[in-house]
Amino acid sequence: MKLLRLLWLYFRLGILSEMEYRINFIIQLGQSLLSLGAAGANLAIVFSHTSSLNGWDPPALTVLLGIFFMMGGVIGFVIEPSLQRLMEDIREGTLDFVLMKPEDSQLLVSVRQVRIWKLFDIGLGGAVIVTGLLWSGEGVSAVNFSVFALTILAGTVIVYSFWMLLATLTFWFVKLENILVIFQFVYQAGRWPVTLYPAWLRIALTVIVPVAFATTVPAQAITGGLETEMLAGAILFAVFLFGVARMFWKIGVKRYSGASS
Amino acid sequence: MRGLFDLYLAQFRTTIAVQLQYRAALIIWLIETILEPLIYMIVWSTVAQAGEGSVADYAPRDFAAYYILFMLVNHITFTWIMFEFEWRVRQGYLSGLLLRPVHPIHRDIAENMTYKALTLTVMLPTALALTWLFDPAFHFTRRTISLFVVSVALAFLMRFLLEWTLALSAFWTTRTSAINQMYYVVMMFLSGEIAPLALLPGPMQQVAHLLPFRWMLGFPVEIGLNRLTAVEIQHGILIQIGWIVLATGLLRFFWKRGLRRYSAVGA
Amino acid sequence: MTTATSAAIHVEQLKKTYSIHERESGLAAAFRSLLFRKTRNIDAVAGISFDVHPGEIVGFLGPNGAGKTTTLKMLSGLLHPTSGACRVLDCPPHRREKRFLRRITLVMGQRNQLVWDIPAMDSFELNRAIYRIPLPLFKSTLKELDDLLELNAIVRKPVRNLSLGERMKCEIAAALLHRPDVLFLDEPTIGLDVTMQRRIRSFIRDYNTRTGATVLLTSHYMADVEALCRRVIVIHHGRILFDGDLSDLVQRFSSTKTIVVKLENGGADLSRFGHSVALEDGGVALRVPRSETARITEQLLATLPVTDLTVEDTPIEEVIEQVFALE
Repeated sequence: MKLLRLLWLYFRLGILSEMEYRINFIIQLGQSLLSLGAAGANLAIVFSHTSSLNGWDPPALTVLLGIFFMMGGVIGFVIEPSLQRLMEDIREGTLDFVLMKPEDSQLLVSVRQVRIWKLFDIGLGGAVIVTGLLWSGEGVSAVNFSVFALTILAGTVIVYSFWMLLATLTFWFVKLENILVIFQFVYQAGRWPVTLYPAWLRIALTVIVPVAFATTVPAQAITGGLETEMLAGAILFAVFLFGVARMFWKIGVKRYSGASS
Repeated sequence: MRGLFDLYLAQFRTTIAVQLQYRAALIIWLIETILEPLIYMIVWSTVAQAGEGSVADYAPRDFAAYYILFMLVNHITFTWIMFEFEWRVRQGYLSGLLLRPVHPIHRDIAENMTYKALTLTVMLPTALALTWLFDPAFHFTRRTISLFVVSVALAFLMRFLLEWTLALSAFWTTRTSAINQMYYVVMMFLSGEIAPLALLPGPMQQVAHLLPFRWMLGFPVEIGLNRLTAVEIQHGILIQIGWIVLATGLLRFFWKRGLRRYSAVGA
Repeated sequence: MTTATSAAIHVEQLKKTYSIHERESGLAAAFRSLLFRKTRNIDAVAGISFDVHPGEIVGFLGPNGAGKTTTLKMLSGLLHPTSGACRVLDCPPHRREKRFLRRITLVMGQRNQLVWDIPAMDSFELNRAIYRIPLPLFKSTLKELDDLLELNAIVRKPVRNLSLGERMKCEIAAALLHRPDVLFLDEPTIGLDVTMQRRIRSFIRDYNTRTGATVLLTSHYMADVEALCRRVIVIHHGRILFDGDLSDLVQRFSSTKTIVVKLENGGADLSRFGHSVALEDGGVALRVPRSETARITEQLLATLPVTDLTVEDTPIEEVIEQVFALE
């Protein structure tokens, strides 16, 4: 697959440039563990005062935390660094180098920059999900697991498309330097189930900044609390958002090459 | 003194002119300041509702009051110097500041205060909106308000000096992000951010008493909520002043040594 | 020491050593360097000495990495010397005393001190507060700078909207508002077009005559140096190769001269006299050893139908190249 080949290529580059700093390995692992530990301690403090948070018991929230971590890792691993670079390139007019390459330009700009240490977050997140599931003591049915896989995929596509849309805006509004951090801030809300929040915030986290699809929905899927409509909705929304992002990208590139020539 | 005043005034003007160019960015950064306490407020209110209607003497309306005040205090006292300083050192921007016949900290204080003055125009309406939405239980008296103001001013100074000192670590290491993270994680637990300190296990509360974080954030908030006795307040304000004195000493010590190092390895 | 008090800049056995890491390319080497790391000491400045007198403009020449910028940074107090001593206006720069900082300035062509998003005038006002310049003096200095640089039209536009040349004019103005006595200029004309280079150059000269300020300047453009500096210091690999009059530099290092000859009947083969290049206008440029110049000129005039003959010094760029080639 083209996507994986390119990813490997940039992953190798990432390793090369990171090796320059030798104790980064330990420090980055330490940082990942620290923030995971902090999140866990936070849950422990909350659950020292209650046994269930709006219907979510400790194992379920642990699974959610794992998903939150894993998804954050995916974003930080390739989506965020690549799209940040894309925005810089658009601003400085150096996108030409990418557009000249014989490869799908959207694919290329989406995987061009890799932060290898974020793999820790992905791995640790996975481990936390498994821990949560073992803790709950209930097995995961094959159906639930495949629904979970589907929602994770849909969530990733939604988050990617959303970032892509934001980054593409730079074609029109050059000064939007900080727009990407909006997602990072709002993403923090995904550490808790969105069902906790008042309606206005819940809707905002589902439709305006689609954090819910990346965290709460997959967690509901694997613990068996997801309605079929929600699954269908997530998949449809993923397809729709990806299509819009793709279209936006094409229009943006056309505009860029028109303006810079 | 007169010269320093002029300097602050000029820096105010410059910063306002710059910040106004980035109105959108101003708002974007406020999202974080507002969202974080809002989430904790909602989580703890849910916990309180599920139990007997309150946790450790905090009902949902008390949590609302606590976190609205916490948001304001955090906004007034926070600094970004720990992130900026590394960039300054690496990019050589510090060299430009060193050529000036003024200590760079003055520029930072002036800039921080200007930013706060500008953004409070958004924060205060936000606090009012949250008050309307969550119906917090404020018990303000004239005495608590004036003590609140004093303790917030001291908290600002204390946090500024401590974080400026910590930022100097960029002179010795390129790994400031790890240091910053540790700082913020400890702060998260022991300042009263993830929960009012009364909700933490006993030993954690004792540690919080010894470290600076509580005195930068939770303490003024608890004064504002009228939850502290006169003795506790007196005691706390003295501790704040003690930290300010200590931080000033540390800052001087490390600034001198840091500069020596900076000018040894390359500016 | 008498030299120390009469000189604006006094440098003695100044040395700056850095240690750097070395690594080969490739994935395997990357992992290897994870365990073993080679370091090496490099003398960026390897013990140089010179004095600059008040009012002098001195050109500091050398290829990239020769140690020019490191020296300027030591002189302006940003870098601590590894060993040796320097004094600027009788202050040891690394102490960064306020009275010292108020009297110097450092302009770096590739760095900016102006605030990017607001008009330069606002940055000027900020500098007025920082350097505590009294308002009347500020106004008259600004007026003077405006005369020399024609700032009026550009100081009220946001800096980011200025062209590179306009920005440089404002940078220089901002650096001089406090009327420094010593100017360190690191590539002040880099990236500018020829007209703008000339403007900046004549400004530096005017400022120097008006205020009697001492100027130490590095530049890649020989035109800058020829126009401004009588004295040059050539530095390479951290060592001074030459310190003296620009004309002496040519005398000493240029082993050749160029004879341009025009013949009645156009081109002729002159290669037996030396390295020859045919020129567009039909003439021939002949590179000959300096000591042979008189003899060859005589011979040319005697044996060929010469209509025009001039003897020229080798261009300064080529001389400098020859100096570095000696190393």
